Amino acid sequence: MPAPYEIFVLVKQVPDQGSKAGLNPDGTIDRAKAKRMLNPFDRYALQAALHTKKCYGGRVTAISMGPPPAVEILMEALEHGVDRGVLLSDRRLAASDTLATAYALFKTVTWVGRFDLIFCGLQTTDGDTAQVGPQLAERLGLPQITYCQDFKVEDDKVHAERIIEGGYQKLISELPVLITVANSYHPLDYKSFRGAWRVQQLLRNQEEQKKYIQTVDLDLVGADPERCGLKGSPTIVAATEKVGEIGGNCSMHEGHSPTDLVSEVLDASKLKEFLTV
Amino acid sequence: MTDEGKKISSPKGEVLVIAEQILGELQPVTLELLGAGRYLSDKLGSQLTCLVMGHNLAEITEKLVSYGADAVYVADHPDLTCYRTLTYRRVVVDLLDSLAIPPHICLLGSTTTGRDLAPRIAAHFETGLTADCTELDVGPYEHKSKVDPSKVGIYEECLYAIRPSFGESLKARILGPWKNPQMATTRPGQMTPLKPDSNRQAKIIPVQVSIKPEDNRLIVAETLREVGKGIKLQEADVIVAGGYGLGSADGFQLMNQLAACFPNSAVGSSRKVVDLGWIPYEHQVGQTGKTVRPKVYIACGISGAIQHRVGMSKSSLIIAINKDVDAPIFKFAHHGIVGDIFQIVPEMIRQLESVKSDKEVQTVVSTH
Ligand SMILES: Cc1cc2nc3c(=O)[nH]c(=O)nc-3n(C[C@H](O)[C@H](O)[C@H](O)COP(=O)(O)OP(=O)(O)OC[C@H]3O[C@@H](n4cnc5c(N)ncnc54)[C@H](O)[C@@H]3O)c2cc1C
Ligand SMILES: Cc1cc2nc3c(=O)[nH]c(=O)nc-3n(C[C@H](O)[C@H](O)[C@H](O)COP(=O)(O)OP(=O)(O)OC[C@H]3O[C@@H](n4cnc5c(N)ncnc54)[C@H](O)[C@@H]3O)c2cc1C
Repeated sequence: MPAPYEIFVLVKQVPDQGSKAGLNPDGTIDRAKAKRMLNPFDRYALQAALHTKKCYGGRVTAISMGPPPAVEILMEALEHGVDRGVLLSDRRLAASDTLATAYALFKTVTWVGRFDLIFCGLQTTDGDTAQVGPQLAERLGLPQITYCQDFKVEDDKVHAERIIEGGYQKLISELPVLITVANSYHPLDYKSFRGAWRVQQLLRNQEEQKKYIQTVDLDLVGADPERCGLKGSPTIVAATEKVGEIGGNCSMHEGHSPTDLVSEVLDASKLKEFLTV
Repeated sequence: MTDEGKKISSPKGEVLVIAEQILGELQPVTLELLGAGRYLSDKLGSQLTCLVMGHNLAEITEKLVSYGADAVYVADHPDLTCYRTLTYRRVVVDLLDSLAIPPHICLLGSTTTGRDLAPRIAAHFETGLTADCTELDVGPYEHKSKVDPSKVGIYEECLYAIRPSFGESLKARILGPWKNPQMATTRPGQMTPLKPDSNRQAKIIPVQVSIKPEDNRLIVAETLREVGKGIKLQEADVIVAGGYGLGSADGFQLMNQLAACFPNSAVGSSRKVVDLGWIPYEHQVGQTGKTVRPKVYIACGISGAIQHRVGMSKSSLIIAINKDVDAPIFKFAHHGIVGDIFQIVPEMIRQLESVKSDKEVQTVVSTH
């Protein structure tokens, strides 16, 4: 029998870029108005965490740092079968860069307790740095497997396949380990019946909800506020400049016969001009 | 008395580039970084240094010198033959600890290696790191916000790290002049290498390698890698790219036929079909393949994943053929055809061929 593992998965709530709500004219995002969603890359991390539990036994804890609405994505994680959620929420975290974020998450993770595997998404769709996972691993003094596309656990060791330019690396790591899961890993399964049912119950009962989702602040996890937020961040976003649209400009051609579709596109795109260049 | 107007300049640290080799092959991004680093260090009036880690590095070291490094730190050790997070991290941390003053700037490639290593170094030294930059410069910066009074001041030699964000729709300028090294990773294919010059001289500095037992918690069992040589994807005017929607390796015959309609054309692909062995790696476009900027990019049966997009989104004209109206590629193509490749592409070839033969007839007529 394999040992039951303590499995952590880190999830972030991001603005939904598919919706135009909250999109400022200068291309930045008004986070108060924007629709919110679970970072799409974290769905693969969730799948990896749940898969690990299914194969080897254990418990999955989803951890997030963000403003109070981020509880929504922890609920979503519960629906998929995660056992419990922890939300680190504190105004003093505002404007944290990746270093400050990794520090705050490090404090939260160690506060939650012992773990064997930590799964992160590859990157987010807002900050998009792919830095938080490795920075957290550094703080925790852990080995890490980034760009992980597949893995199995054997004799308390992780055997993983990692994407590199032009191929793969096969890695073997001792536990505990931090893994960032590539979006070419298996997509997230549908919500589990039990999980969805549980969340329905929790939505009706605040007291019951607290048993499954705990909200913590910097004081509780013992984080130094000076190392968080703007103060704890060595970088700032000094300026942004709009350079393009997030989609919406594609002229679509559909619904006609292939002959008509093609002649329509050849005319509209002036593709024929390239025959003679 | 406030700190406003206080000019802050730090002692002149070097500009350090961390080189990248895979199985003994120096990666092109390192030469690009040396080009960018040379520009930055000349502007700062400081040294351009380069750290290379691996085994049997004589040839690579020579190359680093000819591409502009003033000094090369060489960490040559059998345990460093292939990249591993913890062993490489150890060497970099030890090197930086041994320097009298920290580098002013430290640059790595925004590759699967650089993005694995750089955040560990930045976290260890608690310094700022900007991800995936497309432009770098140095210049003054005045920080006025008093949220943290200790940060207020004019910083004379601040690294401007510029990166695309929000799905490439924004360019963000990230600064972190408060602590050195100011770190950044840069996207391959963005910076320009210097012309190699074998007359360049540099100091070669061997680096002590002291790996600790805990660094061996992570080992590499195998590296499987195809090296892309041959076709000149980056120079093509027209790229016809095929993805998983082609159904099998045979589908690429259709891609070849469509490409053959255009002069100076080439066939590209997504990573998925390279992984499946349908086409060699040298055709792959994207984050772990090539970055291309042709006049025309025709994507057939490619969903448009972010890692594909970063390699081709600067193409002047993008035409996508996909049977799924919700495919992400339709969010950034210029023209989208919703349909089956095997109906659309043959028809496209037929219509292009007929235009071509019409033109040929015309030219024949007019030369008479
Ligand atoms: C336009 C823009 C550019 C930026 N550029 C930089 C930069 O170059 N350098 C820099 O240091 N900061 C940068 N930031 C700040 C950065 O976005 C934030 O620090 C953010 O809190 C975390 O970074 P990320 O979103 O890039 O996460 P990533 O590092 O991309 O996230 C990887 C994974 O880490 C985990 N994770 C990340 N954040 C959380 C969280 N809050 N809760 C739980 N898990 C989490 C998730 O599993 C996620 O999938 C930038 C912000 C903006 C808006
Ligand atoms: C670290 C990392 C690096 C990566 N690097 C790269 C990279 O460099 N380049 C790259 O491309 N990918 C890269 N990827 C992989 C990337 O995430 C996607 O998995 C990959 O691009 C998908 O390839 P695809 O579009 O061919 O396949 P899919 O995503 O499976 O898309 C196939 C598409 O074909 C359409 N289709 C199917 N049949 C037909 C038909 N008969 N007619 C018309 N349309 C049809 C489908 O609707 C679908 O949209 C990387 C991933 C990671 C994690």
